[in-house]
Amino acid sequence: MSNRRMDKAETEAIRDVLAGDRDAYRLLMERHFCSVTRVAFRITGNEADAEEAAQEAFLRAYNKLPSFRQDSAFSTWIMRITMNTAINLVERRKRDLSYHAPRIADEPSTADHTVRIADSQASPEVNLLNREAVSLRQAAMAELTPMERTAFTLRHMEDVPMAEIAAALNITSNSARQAVFRAVSKLRRSLTPVAGGYR
Amino acid sequence: MKHFSEEELIAYQLHERSDEGPISRHLESCSECADLSESIAETLRVFSADPVPQPDLEHNWQRLRGNLGVLTPERSRGFKLLRWGWAWPAAGLATAALILITVFGLHIHRPSETRRNIAVNGHGPLTTEPTDPAIANHLDAAERLLTEVNNSSGALDDTTREQAHSLLLQNAVYVLSARESGDLAQAAVLENFGRVLTTLDNEPPTSHSTWRLRLEMNTSGLLLDIRILRQNDDHSQGVSQ
Repeated sequence: MSNRRMDKAETEAIRDVLAGDRDAYRLLMERHFCSVTRVAFRITGNEADAEEAAQEAFLRAYNKLPSFRQDSAFSTWIMRITMNTAINLVERRKRDLSYHAPRIADEPSTADHTVRIADSQASPEVNLLNREAVSLRQAAMAELTPMERTAFTLRHMEDVPMAEIAAALNITSNSARQAVFRAVSKLRRSLTPVAGGYR
Repeated sequence: MKHFSEEELIAYQLHERSDEGPISRHLESCSECADLSESIAETLRVFSADPVPQPDLEHNWQRLRGNLGVLTPERSRGFKLLRWGWAWPAAGLATAALILITVFGLHIHRPSETRRNIAVNGHGPLTTEPTDPAIANHLDAAERLLTEVNNSSGALDDTTREQAHSLLLQNAVYVLSARESGDLAQAAVLENFGRVLTTLDNEPPTSHSTWRLRLEMNTSGLLLDIRILRQNDDHSQGVSQ
């Protein structure tokens, strides 16, 4: 994410969209869809939900474009919308027990809509260890609240500064910091039984 | 020897501290803190970034384009500000009055047998018993919803209203649980949150409804209470572990 002001091309694209040219929105999507999907993937944890959240975020941004004050960059604005959309999607998925999106699992199953990541290079032993590691990480991440997961993944995996995470989540810097600390603490405790006990 | 807390060591490992020197020196001489710090570092290594799949831009654009309507610029904001300019001083006064009423109300009507609450007297957590872990999620959702209410300039969008609707039933369950466990402070805050949710769920969205909600229900004060509950909840979970 960046706080840089928008360049001329983006400003003109927004002006054209507001003048009724829908196709001008493509420039904004070309520039930011990958980074938006990346952040959504970190929050949702799977590709299908990440694309859905990114689509929804771009649609919401488009519909809110008439009220967008161009004193901040479009990238910052769309990222903020994306985070909220992705968190809402994760919460909706948790509530909707009937939902079965394709998920990564140890063994692929049509009934459970689970898939396995293929790795033709690795040996069976490495495959087994990788599968166990993935399962363990997913189980640990599932214990985090959506806000903790978002704050942690953005800070640790995407290296986003705490102030930007706070601004995007509409919370104070201290709340964002506490969410990251809580996440690390929970993840450490989730891993500790495997690592051999903790104090 | 003064040991560093887990939180301080997490901040150290994430390079969130401006003074790393004292911790580095301490870790060289204290094996207990060094072990904890290494455990945190190992956790961060395990959860390092996995590769992210690349989306198909063309496919996504075609999918999105079908849902895009034709837009027109919003009317000048200056006119609106001029028209509603008188309301801001009144809004400030009303908010201050609501905060005073809330603060005094909490102090006066608090029954003496309820447990200590950091939100009220600053002496520790709401409870020292293990709490339902799902409440943390609910409080997070409440915090984000109220922040959205406090910061939206116009009518709330459908997603936010849909979220309010879905939180309504969940909130009622937590109010009941808090009452049954004798946690009256938590029940009171969640009841107030429930009123906000009910209003959001029942009132038609207009450009003034969010603004009125902020004033009449003191959503800023409620947000502060929710944050305090969240901190107390963390504290009590920490105690239980």
